[in-house]
Amino acid sequence: MTDATGQPTTTGTIVPAIRRHLGRRARFAAVLAVLGPGIVSGFADNDAGGITTYSLAGARFGYELLWVLLVTQIALFVTQEIGARIGLATGQGLTGLIRERFGVRWAAFAALTMLIANLGSTVSEFAGISAALSLFNVPVPLSALLAAIAVITLIGRGSFNRVQYAFVGIGVIVSGAYIVSAILAQPDWGLALNSLVIPHGSFDGVYMLAVVGTVGTTITPWGQSFIQAFVVDKRLRSEDIAAERLDVLIGVFITNVIAAFILVACAATLWAAGQTDISSAADAAHALGPLAGNVASVVFAIGILAASLLGLGVVPLASAYTACEAFGWELGVDWRWREAPAFYGLLAFFIGFAALFMLIPGLPLIQVMFGAQVINGLLLPIVLVFVMLLAGDKRLMGELVSGRINLTLGWLVTVVLVIMSLLLVATSFAS
Amino acid sequence: MLYLSQAIGKPVRDQNGEPIGKVADLIVAVGERYPPVTGLVISTNRRKIFLPWSSVASLDADGARIRTRTIDIGKFRQRPNEILLKQDLMDKQIVDIDGRRIVRVNDLSLDIVEGALRLVAVDVGAAGLMRRLGVEGPFRILARNVGRRVPERYIDWEDVDPLESSIASVKLRVPHAGLAELHPADLASIIDQLTPKDRAGILASLDDEAVADAMEEMDPDTQVEVLEDLLPERAADILEEMSPDDAADLVADLSEQARQEIFALMQKNEAEEVQELLRYPEESAGAIMTTEFIAIPATLTAAQAIERLRELEPDAETIYYVYVVDDDGRLVGVLSLRDLIVAQPDASIAEVMIKEPVAVGVMSNQDDVAQVVARYNLLAVPVVDEDGQLEGIVTVDDAMDAILPTAWKKRLPRLFARNAG
Repeated sequence: MTDATGQPTTTGTIVPAIRRHLGRRARFAAVLAVLGPGIVSGFADNDAGGITTYSLAGARFGYELLWVLLVTQIALFVTQEIGARIGLATGQGLTGLIRERFGVRWAAFAALTMLIANLGSTVSEFAGISAALSLFNVPVPLSALLAAIAVITLIGRGSFNRVQYAFVGIGVIVSGAYIVSAILAQPDWGLALNSLVIPHGSFDGVYMLAVVGTVGTTITPWGQSFIQAFVVDKRLRSEDIAAERLDVLIGVFITNVIAAFILVACAATLWAAGQTDISSAADAAHALGPLAGNVASVVFAIGILAASLLGLGVVPLASAYTACEAFGWELGVDWRWREAPAFYGLLAFFIGFAALFMLIPGLPLIQVMFGAQVINGLLLPIVLVFVMLLAGDKRLMGELVSGRINLTLGWLVTVVLVIMSLLLVATSFAS
Repeated sequence: MLYLSQAIGKPVRDQNGEPIGKVADLIVAVGERYPPVTGLVISTNRRKIFLPWSSVASLDADGARIRTRTIDIGKFRQRPNEILLKQDLMDKQIVDIDGRRIVRVNDLSLDIVEGALRLVAVDVGAAGLMRRLGVEGPFRILARNVGRRVPERYIDWEDVDPLESSIASVKLRVPHAGLAELHPADLASIIDQLTPKDRAGILASLDDEAVADAMEEMDPDTQVEVLEDLLPERAADILEEMSPDDAADLVADLSEQARQEIFALMQKNEAEEVQELLRYPEESAGAIMTTEFIAIPATLTAAQAIERLRELEPDAETIYYVYVVDDDGRLVGVLSLRDLIVAQPDASIAEVMIKEPVAVGVMSNQDDVAQVVARYNLLAVPVVDEDGQLEGIVTVDDAMDAILPTAWKKRLPRLFARNAG
């Protein structure tokens, strides 16, 4: 950062510091070292809720909604890139910055609503795990218990790097699973490619809802909060921007490719066979058996399991980051339990509460997921507006302040998403 | 006592009790132990005006009252040592020097001290947060009913260090005097929690020695991060202040290019010492030894040796052992500080020293070095080359570091810090 005369400013952010003009690592290694937050955040967007949405979309509309994924990809890249950029420039999480710039009430509002919505999402991750494991005849309480222990152990005992590698590893399993199931489903690749690049509009209510749902499950308030916090927790900084952008790009690309494979797998089997009326991803996995073989069915279920596990790690983590930033408590996976009790307490509460919630007999799961979706839909516009205001603040962002193109794109995406969110919420209440 | 949140937004009344605006912010002059309030920023329906404290008759939770008949509606100009409480401190991050951590300001507490209203403490507790959210009353009732105390936590303003990136309104040079007085391990842990921007500001305000001491307490990744954020000149100065073995470890993680540039900026002999150490393979005794030790010729008397010690002491990492070398620099003996002090002043060193001392080779494995240190209960072990020339010493902490698992290394300083505090 320099002032008008080109002199380093007194706060002296990394002027021609050693890192800047010499660089410690070989370039390739430097890029590799930065990768992670964007990829994990991307992978996590395809959590239990995501896979359910894509499966239903594929079963109901065949290949028709593929173009939406391409558009979502662009929007997701824009929002995630800006989130990462704010994290790099400020070294702070989203709600902490909201508190500094817009006051404690907005920060508390954002944090509390996000917590409520995320609690719903966490329950649905557990539901995904249980549904997937019940295909292998594992009882629900056991699967909930195992998943809770696995995730708490991983985050509670791991260093940042270990947590990140575990997340990436699980994400790779998800990716592999859905690529395999899509290939086993023997889809009409030509038609798929066609639908991907040629938008297919329709003003049919259910179709519109599916479009909005697909976008809404990918671009989420917690995803926005997570990328920024994870970048900070990884201790990346301004000069990592190029590598981080690549990281986000890779993450977004993989996410949407996987989403497309899920959609294609369901389109090629369920939709082609006329079984358009499924109600969950597990249904899809089950129905896949007779149509594409048991291997496809099992692989699809493994995908749901891994994706839900990843979501179970990321959503509570994002929640803990969000609340601790807003209220000024120690946060980060590199801390020990005793040093950051609020952070780990929140994580444990989230996972424990959601696990217990799952065990309530006759739980109206659909309503819970639905409620979480509505809250997320209401919150997303507010979060995005804050994000854009922060990204354009020169004093806060320094040299990483969003340029004109970046800002225009960001606001464009924000406006579109605001409209879609309102639409989603409106239709949710109408139905 | 008054909380800032209770005053903000309250009406400002003139002498007749007519409201003329609302309290928008409070101005304090920093520098004193408890900064006195020097003025109010009032938002009227048209603009923000400044009111010097001399014109204010009273300020409390009901609002402010003006003393003078007329008010100067000139535009507010901030003096260099003044900060705005709401704009610059509320909701911002500060360093809690006493608790050695970074906290967020929930509210600010003002009180009359020495006849003036002053900023006395920062509220970082749950009660302050609830007050800001407007639910302190219900929260207290709830807490009473479940038989819990409302967690209140205040930090005395004296124990607070505001971060520069937070104080947006002025180019205030925060002195960070409190930080400079911390134990290096505590300073290291605070620096570790800062954002890069704040880190740069704080490092700029500390002297080279304080930064060097703190650097030695950081884990290697943070060390490199901090060093890389510095200008090469400053980095060179700080490396000179560090003990050569720690400096060498750190420099080893830089690129060849960065290393050469920094060496060029360091004092010649300091740079050579570090370069020397870099030649040794990573797992060898040479890599962890320090070249700052005390060596004396065998021909001195005990009194002369003690005199020599006084001259050399400032630089050496440990003076508990005095090594004795011959004319070619070969290690011939060792004596402890105790041996030296209890010896007759005119006794020759050659008589009182322990001959054929325990030593390790520069290429010895670090595990073996640690074994030797443990077996003979040494505070440091001398390191010699093939010819028996004394090259350096490995102190017990560095020897243990080399063999302890990383997790333990990270935990130890924090454990000690907690016990010490």
